[in-house]
Order: sequence, then structure tokens, then C-alpha cells
Amino acid sequence: MNGVRQDELRETESKRVKVYILEQNEWKDTGTGFCIGKVDKEERQAEQNAPPEDALAAYLVVNDEEAPEKTLLWSKLEGNIEYQRQEETLIVWKDLSGQDIALSFEESTGCDALCDFIIKIQKSSENNISLVAVRSNDDGMGSVHEIITGPVNLPCNDAEQDEKQLMEALKILNENTAFEYLRSETMEFVLKSNYVATLIKLFEKAEAGHKLRELLLLSNILKTLTLYNQRELLEQMVGDEYIMGVVGILEYDTEFPTSKANHREYLLHSGPHFKEVVPLNSDDMKRIIKKTYRLQFFKDVVLVRFLDEHSFNIISDIILDLQTCIINFIQDETFLPKLIALYTAASPDTPIETKRDGIRMLHQCVQITKNLEHSEKSRFFKALVRAGLFKIFDFAFGQETDSGIRILATDMVISIIEHDILLINSVQNELINQPEGLDQEQQHSHKQPAENGNCTVSSDVSLLAILSKILLTDKSLGLKEQVVQALNTLLHPEGCMGMDPDYNDSGGVDMMMNFNDARSNGMNEENLIDNMNFQMTDYFNNFYTQVAPQLFAPLITNSLSTPDDDVLLIYLVKLINFVSTEHNRRLSREFIMENNILKNIAKLLDPQRMLQLRLTVVRCLKSIVCLNDEFYHRYLISENLYAPVMDLLRENLHEDNLANSSILDFFKIVSSQCMQALELKASDKRNFIMLNKHLVKNYRDILLEVDYVPFTKDMIRMYDEGEGQLRESVTESTSMVYAKEGKRTFSETLETTKVSTSEETTTFKKAMEKITSAPPQSFIKEDVLGTEF
Amino acid sequence: MKVDETIALLRQGKQVSEETVYTLCLRSQELLMSEANVTRVDTPVTICGDIHGQLHDLLTLFDKSGGVENNKYVFLGDFVDRGFYSLESFLLLLCYKLRYPDRITMIRGNHETRQITKVYGFYDEIVRKYGNSNVWRYCCEVFDYLSLGAVVDGQVFCVHGGLSPNVTTVNQIRAIERKQEVPHEGAMCDLLWSDPDEVSTWSLSPRGAGFLFGRNEVDQFLHCNGLELIARAHQLVMEGYKEMFGGGLVTVWSAPNYCYRCGNVAAVLRIEDGLSREYMIFEAVQAQDDVGNAIIPTKKPQMDYFL
Repeated sequence: MNGVRQDELRETESKRVKVYILEQNEWKDTGTGFCIGKVDKEERQAEQNAPPEDALAAYLVVNDEEAPEKTLLWSKLEGNIEYQRQEETLIVWKDLSGQDIALSFEESTGCDALCDFIIKIQKSSENNISLVAVRSNDDGMGSVHEIITGPVNLPCNDAEQDEKQLMEALKILNENTAFEYLRSETMEFVLKSNYVATLIKLFEKAEAGHKLRELLLLSNILKTLTLYNQRELLEQMVGDEYIMGVVGILEYDTEFPTSKANHREYLLHSGPHFKEVVPLNSDDMKRIIKKTYRLQFFKDVVLVRFLDEHSFNIISDIILDLQTCIINFIQDETFLPKLIALYTAASPDTPIETKRDGIRMLHQCVQITKNLEHSEKSRFFKALVRAGLFKIFDFAFGQETDSGIRILATDMVISIIEHDILLINSVQNELINQPEGLDQEQQHSHKQPAENGNCTVSSDVSLLAILSKILLTDKSLGLKEQVVQALNTLLHPEGCMGMDPDYNDSGGVDMMMNFNDARSNGMNEENLIDNMNFQMTDYFNNFYTQVAPQLFAPLITNSLSTPDDDVLLIYLVKLINFVSTEHNRRLSREFIMENNILKNIAKLLDPQRMLQLRLTVVRCLKSIVCLNDEFYHRYLISENLYAPVMDLLRENLHEDNLANSSILDFFKIVSSQCMQALELKASDKRNFIMLNKHLVKNYRDILLEVDYVPFTKDMIRMYDEGEGQLRESVTESTSMVYAKEGKRTFSETLETTKVSTSEETTTFKKAMEKITSAPPQSFIKEDVLGTEF
Repeated sequence: MKVDETIALLRQGKQVSEETVYTLCLRSQELLMSEANVTRVDTPVTICGDIHGQLHDLLTLFDKSGGVENNKYVFLGDFVDRGFYSLESFLLLLCYKLRYPDRITMIRGNHETRQITKVYGFYDEIVRKYGNSNVWRYCCEVFDYLSLGAVVDGQVFCVHGGLSPNVTTVNQIRAIERKQEVPHEGAMCDLLWSDPDEVSTWSLSPRGAGFLFGRNEVDQFLHCNGLELIARAHQLVMEGYKEMFGGGLVTVWSAPNYCYRCGNVAAVLRIEDGLSREYMIFEAVQAQDDVGNAIIPTKKPQMDYFL
């Protein structure tokens, strides 16, 4: 008993308790009394090898409540006794003589006090005793054991260790991950005793001595330590002191025993190197940046095949915290203005490379914000815009010629607008409303927004105008792709309502329709749309009057004809597809109709054009047909714009390829919608009866040749059956729609009936059922219908 | 762009220029547009499951199965995500397709979409490798043109995920507009997302897209279309392949030691002229560069700091 020192010699408060002894498998109540934990001279039993007189031992003692001099229990804490705390008020154990003892406390606080005593004794003198909490499972079946205190096996921390010791260390570390108590004890040891430093020293010796097995063991030990998911340890590992040793150890991998990674070399040569565009002036910040860099290197390279999801998340969380620090620092009053100043008239001599590095750096910061919380992101982006981000864009889009840099600038624009489409405008409005807060130069640019391409702050659509110009004139294909994405986001009415902008590319009808379904299902979204209406009407009006005429000029003047132009035209047709389906119908349709855009788009179906472009046109026309819009339907028919689609079909009539499938999809839509109109008396689908009539009347020959799907026959049949009476009702409904159209609000227009996917599917099924219930027609192939109908 | 040179670069896992990727993607689109939603393929052919960016295992696959110079292959999709060489794996297949158009058929998997690749690694990989996402956009555009299935000798239906309640006959797939991001529901979605299971009828899929289908659905589909087998991928199989429903359906998985840690073997299915099936099993092997030095698969570290 050398661990208990004199100054700890004291007793716990006494707690009321019942004492039980197990006799012949039954718990026997031996009386009620007060229990204390005490440290006392070791005496009592006169043994042969009695300990020295001053030796101390710890005891659990219970004295009878009615006769305090009578001792009900005197039990020594010794050996490897395991004390179990069962539920809240019981402590149960078997002493070294084999006697089972239980203490049932009156109150759980009493039990707490004695458990604390046991823990204290375990930690100080009797290291081999243990305390385990036993609780029944939530479902009442079985129980959960949790070690509260007890002996912990720890790895050897000697400066010299052989393979066997390392093997043992690895085994221990693996075992100790099983219980929270063992984990935290192990971590305490690892942190307090500089275990990682020991490992690194052992590693250096093993590497010098080419002891591969030891190297692999060390690597596995270190990897196991990362699985403890202890933040402090992970941060210690990437500190200046340990980093090289740690990645050195991890260059060895049991899975690749014959090779070695080159992490140390990479870190030495690659960084992080600080290319300080504006001096950082903070050692703390440099440390944080280094740490972030190294943790990312850990996560993405060193441990990439090893980390489980939990460990991966822990490292990601640390990185996120550090990145938040970095972003906070950047938007600090001193840093950002200095950076922006490089692009203003105040520093005319800034070298172009410095300006480029500044953009690279800001781009990196914007990339970092990807994982940050929404509010943090907003704060940073607002700070950027407030500080004058547009001066940087002026440089990138005005003077810069390197498309790599322009791509980075566009990428920043995309990140910001995809985060919050209104952010840029709202910050700018805020600046306009507080003119005293602006410096001279900013005020100047307010007054002359459009001159010399300066876009600093002006009308809402200046960004759209700049992007449109880039799309039409820049040669870089990558930049064009990006700009289209930015335009899609900026032109998306839902962008401001937190809807996912990822679907902006799609020319697919289904996709567009899902979008609309999702919207109409939301509860408060109608109100939202009404509120948005006010703000956005101006914005979209400006777009159609100021930007769209330039942006869509090639489709208005029909002026582009080289193969390179076809790629641009694909983007423009996709954009038309997009605005026609997503924007206020009246607004977008007026623009599209007045400029004869559909007519010019249909011309792009010419066989001289790139097939991708021609198919984009087909999809655009299909989308517009699906809008079920009377004006469009009449226009498409009267201008005979289906003729070039049918020409494309003729080219591919007996091919099973994308063009053929795309047009079959068109027939499927027409036939199912038409069938719905006829059979379900769906009066809002009359456009499709009109369309079916037009198609069958003019292209019956080619429809007959499309004998490999059922719906072309349906189209012909419906036309033949319904001929006479249709004409009348179509005319009638038309006049009604015309009368109403003028009064439509934005939100009403959004709700205009569209063909939905599910509708399409059920209609298709119904159609199939209908057909199969009819007597078999000789020209339908068996293959088409299936035999189980 | 010289296809053979690009193939050599890709096989070594080396970076190809953005312009080359663009040209490659454009030329692939042209080729893919001429293909049917369900492509017809003749025996003998080797059917391969998920690859998931494990370039070195893809090279092993070609090595051990005879190579593209002498054999036809059908890939069932999921070329990208998870592994560290999604771009190289996908582009290599495109190059092979350009070089030997009739020997490679590529079917779209559920990972060949913008939405999924943004989350599961491909997007991230491109930003690491190129500093911007343009190459990702070019590739996603090609994804939209990929076929939805294939039929071998009119007898074996190849698809990434499985069946759809909206598709009774193979011919119905023909009238799908496939050039689009994969929708969240409907036939096109189901073909890429569904899984076979011990269910008595169409059931909800725990994946949140597609359906679970059982023996009944498989038997009916086979009978209706005069087929013998449905070959699909989409699910990890530790043994590389798994036949179900009395041999009417098989799952083929071709990414050994999936995610570099699952410890599974991989398989490809060889269908001979008489429709006999032969499975070739292979394991992950240590990757090597062009001069025989070992390669440890890893991500490319991100760019350094610029503060």
C-alpha cells in the first residue's frame, strides 16, 4: 500500500444503505446502516506476513444504524475486484474470499458518493480494481456494461522497442478502442507522455536499419491512433514538431508492403507556400493555414484509403473550424481593403501577375466557403461585395485576356449567385442608399454605370449583360460553359427561394416538369411567389428589354453559320428552352414571338447543322409543346415549324438512334395528351387535338411508316375518328383563353397547366390498356404489346 | 487529337489537356448519338459491371479478359465516383470506343449524372486536377448521350440497375428521350436505379429512387421479350457476381477491393456464341506505372495556399 498518502486519509460522508450477502443463491439482508468509504491503517486481520505498521488500505465500512458500534460490513478494496454499479442505487461485488456482497443505497446520490470513492482508490492505490456500470437496455432485454474505472493496458513508451513490443502495443491500442473509458485513458496517456514522439524516434531508427516489419507496425499503430478520433491528437500530429515524422511513418502501408509513398518529399516541396498577395502579418494565421493544409493532405492523400466515415468527418470538422477562422480573418477590416486596393486607381502600378494572384487567392477563399454554414457564407460574400469585388471583376472581364483567370472570376460569380441570387443586388442597393459610406470613385461609378464597360454598381441586370457579352464573344469554350451556368442561375425565378439550381442544364422535358410539380406542392410558396413578384418583375422586365435582345441576337437575326457557331447556338437554344418554361409566360412568350425566335430556331434543324444542335432544337420545341400554350401551339402550326422536324425523322426513319427516339418521344406525348383530351374530356388539352390533327393531316405517310411503336397508329386513329366535331370546340376554347390571358398575374401564369410526367405515364398505361382491350390489329407487332396484357 | 497517344497517357494515369478532353467528348457525342437507347450487340462479348474510377483495376480487367484489340465489351455503367481516377477511367473507355467503335458499348449508370457526381467524388476530382470544373461539365454532357441498355444476340438484356414498372417490353425503351439529366422517377430513372430482391411484386426501394423487383417481374419480362437473362450491376457483390431467380438475372461487379477497402473480388461475364456463360474472377493488384514502378492509388493533393 504505497499509493495512498497520508493527506488523503479521510472518510466519505456516511450514506444510508442496506447490506446483502449471497447465501445459497439467495440475497440475505444483513441489516441497515450507514456506509462510508475510508482509508485506514491496515490492521484488523492478524496475518503472518503483516504489513508494516504505517501501511494504509481502503475499505467500505457499514455500521448498524441502530447500534453504531456494530459493524455490518468491513470490506477491503483490493486485488482485481470488479465492482458493478447496477442501475442507480446498487453496488455489487465478489470479494477476494469469494463472498458476493451487495449494497443497496437509499438514494442514488449515496451510491454516487461511494462510486466516486472507488474511482479515487482505483486511480491512486488499487489500480487493479475496477468499477463497471450495468444498465438494462432500452428495450428491457439484456444489459449494457460500461467501464467507469479500472486497470488500463497501455502501450510501452520506451525509447527502445523491438518488434514484439510494437506488436503488443498495436494489440493494446486496438483493444482499447472498444470502451469509452479505455479510449479516454489511452488518449490521456498518448497526449501526456508524448507517445507520438516516441513512435517517431522508433521510426527513425527502424528506417535507418531498414526494418520493414517494424516500420509497418509503426504505421499501423499510428493509423489506429487516428481512429480514436481525438481532435487534440490529430492537431498535435500535424503540428510543426511532428508532421514530418508522422507522414514519414505513414509512407509505409501494409497494403503496399513493397512500396513507399513520398509524403515527406511532397510536403517539403509543395507547401504550403505562402504567396502573399497582401502580407498576412499574423503568425497565428499562418499556423492555422499550415494546419488546414496538412489536415487536408492527411484526409485526401495520406489516410485516404484508411479513414472510416466517422474519422473522415472528425478531420473534416476540424478543417471546417480552421477554415472559418481563415475566412473571418480575410474579411477583417485590414486585409480585404488592401487587396481590393490593388485593382483601383489608387495603385495604378500593380503588376498584372499580382492582380492575377489576387484573383487566384480570392477564388481559393470562395472555394473554401463551400462547406461553411449558410450565414457565414453570406457574411463573407457580402463583405466581398461591399469591399468592392466588382472592381476585381472589372479587371477580369474588362482588361484581363487570360481565359484561365476569367474562368476563376466567373466561378466566383457562380458561387455567389448560387448561394444567394439577390445578394449582390441587395448589397449594392444598401450602398446606394447610404451614399455617405461610399468613396469618391464608387459614387462616380454610380452616376455613369454603362460607360466603358464599368459594371461596379448600376442597374440590376449589368451582370447579366456582361455575362451575355462573354458568351457571345469569348473564344474559350470552358468559359462559355461556365457563363451559361451563371446565366441559368441568374435567370432562375426559384434561385432566390433556395431551390437547387443544379438542373439548369437540362433540355429534358421530364426534368422541367418535376420542377413545376415540386413548386406547386409547397405550402407557402404561392405567397412567396407573390412577394417575389414585386421585386422580380422589374428585374425580368429589364432582362427582356436590355439584355435579351443582345444575348439572343444570333437567333433573332439568324446570322451564325460556321460550325463553331453551332456550339454557341446550342447554348442559346437551351436558354430559350429554359426561359420559355421557367419565366413568366407572357413576358417570355412576347419576346420569343415578337422576335420570331422559334421560326429561326426551327431553321437550325437544317441537315448542314451539327446533329447535337438539331436535337437540342427538337427538345426545345417539345418543351414548348408541353407548355400546352395556345399561342405557341397556333404559331408552331401556322408557321409550319414541324416540317423540319419531320424532315429529320425522314432522315432517321429506319434508324434506331437518338434522333429517332427523340421524335418518338414527341409522338408519345402528342398521342397520350390527345387521348386524354378525347377520352377524359380534358378540355384543357385541346391544343393537342389540334396538334394531332395538324400532324396526321400533313404527315400521315411518314406516321404510317413509323410502325414500330403503337402511338403513331393511335394518332391516326384519333384523327380519323374525331375529325368533324373537333373543329368547333377548339375554336370555342380559343376565344376563352384569349379573353382571360390579358388579366393573368405572374403567379397565375406560373401555374398554367403543364403536362406532368406522372400524367404522361398513367396516360401511357391507359393507352396501352385501351389498345390491348381492342381487337388485335394486324400491323402491331407482338413485341410492342407484350403477351401478358 | 491523336487517340492512340491519349490512350497511352490515360493508361499511365497522366493528365490530358482540357482541350483534348473537350475534343474527345465532342467526338464521343457524335458516336453515341448514332446508337440506340438499347444497343444491339452480338456474341461473343464480355459484360462488365461497375468500375468507379478504379483505373488500374480497369486495366487489369482488359488484361485478363483478352483486351479490346480482340474482344467486344459491354460496360454496365458507373464508370465514375468513389475511386481516384474517375476521369481517366471514363476517358479511356471513350478513347477505346473511338478507336474500336464496335468493340465497346457503354451503358449509363446512376452515377453518370451531374447531381450524383457532385457528391460522390467525380466533381471534386476534376476541380483538384484542373483547378476548375469545366472538364466535369464536358463529361456530364457526354453522360446524357449514353445508351440506357443493350441486348446481346436478342437474348441477354443488359442494364445498369434493373427493371421498371413502366417498361414491359424492351421496345418501349426506344421512345424515351434519353438526352437529359436522369429524372427522379419514371422509366429512365428505374432502369438505372432499381434492384432485384426477394419481393413478390414491385416494392419501394430503400435508395429513394427506382424500385425493388422480384422473381415474378423478372420471369414476366424475360418471357415477354423472349430473353434468357438480365445482366445488371449496381450492387457490390463480394464474390464478383451473383445469379438470382434460377439464373434469370445476374449482378456483375467489376471493381475489386471497392473503394480500396471492401476486400471483394471482381468479375466479368463472358457470353459465348451459344449463349454459354463464363465468369472471369479477378482481384485488385498493385498498380504499376509504365516502367513497372508500383503506384499507390491516391487523390491528387489540392493546390497550395495563396494568402
